[in-house]
Amino acid sequence: MTAVRTTPAAPPPRLPARDKAAARDRGWGGGSPMLTRLAAERATGVLVRERGTLRLSRGRVVDAESPAAPGLDVLLTARGTLDGEVWRQALAETGDRHHAGHRLVEGGLLAPGALELCRLVALYDAAYFTLAPSSTPGRFRYAAEDGPDCGCPVPVAALERETLRRRDLLHRIWPDPATDERPLTRAHRATPPPSTVRQRAVLAELDDVRTATDIARGLGRPAFHTLVDLRRMAAAGVVAAREPAPAEASDPLEGIPADAVDPHITLLKRLRDALEAL
Amino acid sequence: MPGIDECLLEAMRLPGARGAALVDWTSGLALGTVGESPGGDQEAAAVETAELARLAAEQHAFAPGADGGTHEGGTHKVGIHEGGTPGGNPLGGDDPPIEDLIISNRDSYHLLRFVRTSFDSSVCLHLWLTRAEGNLALARIRLGEMAGRLVLE
Repeated sequence: MTAVRTTPAAPPPRLPARDKAAARDRGWGGGSPMLTRLAAERATGVLVRERGTLRLSRGRVVDAESPAAPGLDVLLTARGTLDGEVWRQALAETGDRHHAGHRLVEGGLLAPGALELCRLVALYDAAYFTLAPSSTPGRFRYAAEDGPDCGCPVPVAALERETLRRRDLLHRIWPDPATDERPLTRAHRATPPPSTVRQRAVLAELDDVRTATDIARGLGRPAFHTLVDLRRMAAAGVVAAREPAPAEASDPLEGIPADAVDPHITLLKRLRDALEAL
Repeated sequence: MPGIDECLLEAMRLPGARGAALVDWTSGLALGTVGESPGGDQEAAAVETAELARLAAEQHAFAPGADGGTHEGGTHKVGIHEGGTPGGNPLGGDDPPIEDLIISNRDSYHLLRFVRTSFDSSVCLHLWLTRAEGNLALARIRLGEMAGRLVLE
């Protein structure tokens, strides 16, 4: 006769959870537990998170992409280092950014140091946004092939540590993250402090509509670098984020006509009528 | 034509070189390091190097004199903005405004060379030399040449 043991011999395995105390001791962590696990198992594939993607090869990061950060192509073409058409042609011939860059270096159109520098800066920049706290879980798609044979893959631990350090850096400059994502406007104060050449370039782009990402793209400058200057200028009272439209904060049902034929409302009304009829 | 590591290894061949790094002075990221790190921690050294470089690069007092006058009273110039426009200044103009930064202490020299690029960037080479063997004048000239070769085609 079989009996069901009511007390299991061993407790069930613990679910993976963020151990913040341990992360502090390690000096990193708190980014993405999934990414840490993928690095440990030397995974190859693409990690898709809410704000961007990381490409892994044998557990190390070879590329990162985020809609919030200008890509390698923008950094190289925005100020004429590389002609946009030359880049597009190289991309069409090789099929991906990685090989396109190498093709241009081989063709003598780009210094290897310039490519490497821009690639690393763009990778850390996109990873900063990709690893930002997200409201949805990440997904990982394993790839059978190892990624492109990249000269300088970045260890996951280094990337997470740098991302957390960057988050702290911004927080120390000015703790309000409003200028990171919202449209920006110039705040007028009687005696503004002198701004630097790089800050003046950012100020010239302000038009009450553009966000930090738009400005970074326009200047061909990494987005994080733009956030740093914006937070400094926000702290100095030179730049402010525009308040979100008040309509968003008010009653969500406001503005919906009384006779709206939203199926959910119709269903709720029928349910209410049925309950009242009981 | 060298990449970042080749450039740093070349810097390490200078007499008395103890360590070299390529540092982004806006973010504080070390884009490459070779040899020893001052203080024993690469990342901490990069952050401190970046802070020093940023301060030097942003102070109007250290900018070249020729257009120094136009930058003074920046309060009124804010809207005019003549430098740093995309495409308006293909060689990066006066960004960064200074070439290098030298620090000497009892036992060593630190040399920071700003790298001028045709794309938007904020990077500098950091070379750490022992005082007994290092030749500051030679290192300054060589590091300037290396910074140029690193990014120019």
